[in-house]
Amino acid sequence: MEDLGKIHQLIIPFFGHDITLNVEVIVMTWIVFFALLCFGFFATQKKSRLPGPLQVVGELFVEHLYALTEDALGKELSKTYAPLICALFMFLLLSNWLGIIPHLEEPTKDLNTPLSLGIMGFAIAHYAGIKAKGLKTYLKDYCEPMFIMAPLNIIGELAKVISISFRLFGNIMGGAIIILVVSYLTYNIITPPFLNAFFGMFVGTIQAFVFTMLTVVYIAVQVN
Amino acid sequence: MAYDIQTWVNVAAFTGGGMAMGFGAIGAAIGEGFTAACANEAIGRNPKLSGDIFKSMLVGQAIAESASIFALVIAMMLLFTKFPAHTLTPYVLIAAGLCMGFGAIGSGVGSGFPAGAACKGMARQPGVTGRLTTNMLIGSAVCQTPAIFALVVSFILLFTDFSMHPVSPTWAAILGAGISSGLGAIGSGLGGGLVAEASCDGISRQPLTATPVTNVMLLGQAVTQTTAIYALLVSFILMFKSFPTTDLLAPPMALLSAGLCMGIGAIGPAIGEGFAGRSAVAWIARNQEHIAALTRVMLVGQAVAESTGIYSLVIALVLIFVV
Repeated sequence: MEDLGKIHQLIIPFFGHDITLNVEVIVMTWIVFFALLCFGFFATQKKSRLPGPLQVVGELFVEHLYALTEDALGKELSKTYAPLICALFMFLLLSNWLGIIPHLEEPTKDLNTPLSLGIMGFAIAHYAGIKAKGLKTYLKDYCEPMFIMAPLNIIGELAKVISISFRLFGNIMGGAIIILVVSYLTYNIITPPFLNAFFGMFVGTIQAFVFTMLTVVYIAVQVN
Repeated sequence: MAYDIQTWVNVAAFTGGGMAMGFGAIGAAIGEGFTAACANEAIGRNPKLSGDIFKSMLVGQAIAESASIFALVIAMMLLFTKFPAHTLTPYVLIAAGLCMGFGAIGSGVGSGFPAGAACKGMARQPGVTGRLTTNMLIGSAVCQTPAIFALVVSFILLFTDFSMHPVSPTWAAILGAGISSGLGAIGSGLGGGLVAEASCDGISRQPLTATPVTNVMLLGQAVTQTTAIYALLVSFILMFKSFPTTDLLAPPMALLSAGLCMGIGAIGPAIGEGFAGRSAVAWIARNQEHIAALTRVMLVGQAVAESTGIYSLVIALVLIFVV
């Protein structure tokens, strides 16, 4: 039970400041990167009209996520943002599934991963908004419906980052804690595979999709 | 007459366990009853499918029940685990019990809605049974998320060692953390259920729109959960921030009110967002040419409804960090 909330950290002193690295999260993130790179490499290796199994999976991802982006952003913008959305979804999906394998942990279990992805989405959405509307209209939108509402609108925008990243973090970390505690209470008999299937595969897939879709929607709201 | 700490720990464990299961029993029972009522209606309309509808009712009720089972787990742990005799332990036990008890209400009621709508939908449109069941399972599972947040906060409260923290403001922080996540989960569970209900109904009316309906349902439910996530955030801050020792009563009360403020303030916005999501999803099924406009209006409406939840978050943060 001592594992609850324990993080493996590497603390490097740097000119009077301590730089803290969450080693485990970094290693797990690199495992996900490597797996995705391998997938991308082998899926596009032998392109043919009769697709192999990997090519089918790749086409499935690309086709559905491009359609999703196109629905929300329109044809023009989706060309720019669809690759990002595909990459985001595949990264999150694999990250959330990683915990099923013993001794590996989900990188999304650490708040740093969802929060940085959330901030990335926030920055991209606002960049897209400024680019589409121009800086003047973009700034004017904050003063809707009245000038006094501007601080609250800004807090509302910042709250989006908190909600999108804590939603993913809370679900994945919550699942991991529940698996840990229940396995401890039942002495690891029978229940862990079912819990892993539910929290890892099922909830993980839903949350990866929700995160991706919210990122698309945030961009769409800024652009329109 | 003065009692020793161990007595107070036992008192708190029994009180917390009782409250966890007592409050936790409210929601799931209402949700399951609603599902059964819908199943009866559905069988009355289409008696040939009674086998399928009965199965679907049982599956839906099993998911709605899981919120109460979480409460049962916490109640059992409170009753049968031996806890260390420390001044803070009674507060931890009561907070854990209250958190899970309140947290199970919304999700239990909410999960009953999609299950009921799925039963009615099967009677109306027997051809989409499979798709309806999938949609119901996804919708109800997402409804359980607030209850899972409450369960996680309860577990963290029970298994974290607070003995290093100063007693005076920490007792209030612990109670506030439990109350915040617990009360904050009520509205989100209910609101998510409303959205999921509309999606099951919509798929049975217009099976061709199943994919966009499920997508928008997930989006609506995700936004509905936002205030529960704010409540979770406030709980985490209250649990893991270290507060300076104090002899005054005002600082602990500020922490307790921060939890109460976020918890109570999260209920209304989430239910309101649920209404917005419900009608958006319902009309996407009826009018699939205007998915983009309906989704946009839903999101903007939900954002406006959520603003009161954001006010609660701001006040809670001010109470924690400024006062």
